[in-house]
Amino acid sequence: MDLLRGRGGVSRRAVLRVLGLLGVSAATTPMVLGAPGTARGQGGLGVLEPEERVDATLQRLFGGRPIKDGSSLIRLDMPLIAENGAVVPITVEVQSPMTPASYVKRIYIISDKNRRPMNARFSLSPEMGAAQIGANLRLGGTTDVRAIAELSDGTLLVAKREVKVTVGGCGG
Amino acid sequence: MAEIGQVRIRIPSSIKRGDVVRVRSLVIHPMEIVQRDKAGKPVDKNYRFINRMIVTYNGREILQADTTQSISENPFFSFAFKPSEAGTLKITFLDTHGGKYEGTADIKFS
Repeated sequence: MDLLRGRGGVSRRAVLRVLGLLGVSAATTPMVLGAPGTARGQGGLGVLEPEERVDATLQRLFGGRPIKDGSSLIRLDMPLIAENGAVVPITVEVQSPMTPASYVKRIYIISDKNRRPMNARFSLSPEMGAAQIGANLRLGGTTDVRAIAELSDGTLLVAKREVKVTVGGCGG
Repeated sequence: MAEIGQVRIRIPSSIKRGDVVRVRSLVIHPMEIVQRDKAGKPVDKNYRFINRMIVTYNGREILQADTTQSISENPFFSFAFKPSEAGTLKITFLDTHGGKYEGTADIKFS
């Protein structure tokens, strides 16, 4: 006890350091696991995440749930050939009544050949009136781009398009 | 890069009750990409990029997005929105270095 009291300052510092480390790992773990819904507020640090193949991404996000072909319901607008992979515009529109009873809950944009295939995940609400979102993507090279829509009843729909990229836009 | 975090929101100039409008937003941000060392190995560090977008209307959340480094520099997003009453649309962007960037647009019916 005497020893502890004598070095009070040092040990407190050590404790704080350990707490800090714990805090950091607590913040980053959910991101590595990629569990949905963990990214509320500040979504964690921009730590380097491991390279991932698209099958692994789909498994991580959807856990083997069946994904149906939704090419009749999803309109995927993007260029056939993108000269510059750093800025590739995409618009995704899903036909849906967007009422509280039936709406599109999430739209995922996944480009197969990127280092981390999931580009973005949008969580929509019925108040939007239409399930339409747009963004600018970075594509590392010629790749398939998928838009996956998760409906409020849990159905997963996918639409896919190949984009030819002349100059890659991802260092990673 | 003094203007990092500047948020611009564009909405149609005339909106009627019941319209579904297309909102376009842009935020000035570097969206750092993964760097590689000489051996080609990705460098592990806290990259600065926007990883979250939150859109609210009169305080109600209408859209959220989790974004990654696979989104272009100076990210542009568009989305549909059907305002039920006049009010303020607010878009908040959060980045991995604690940055919080906000922009608002007032929606009135004509």
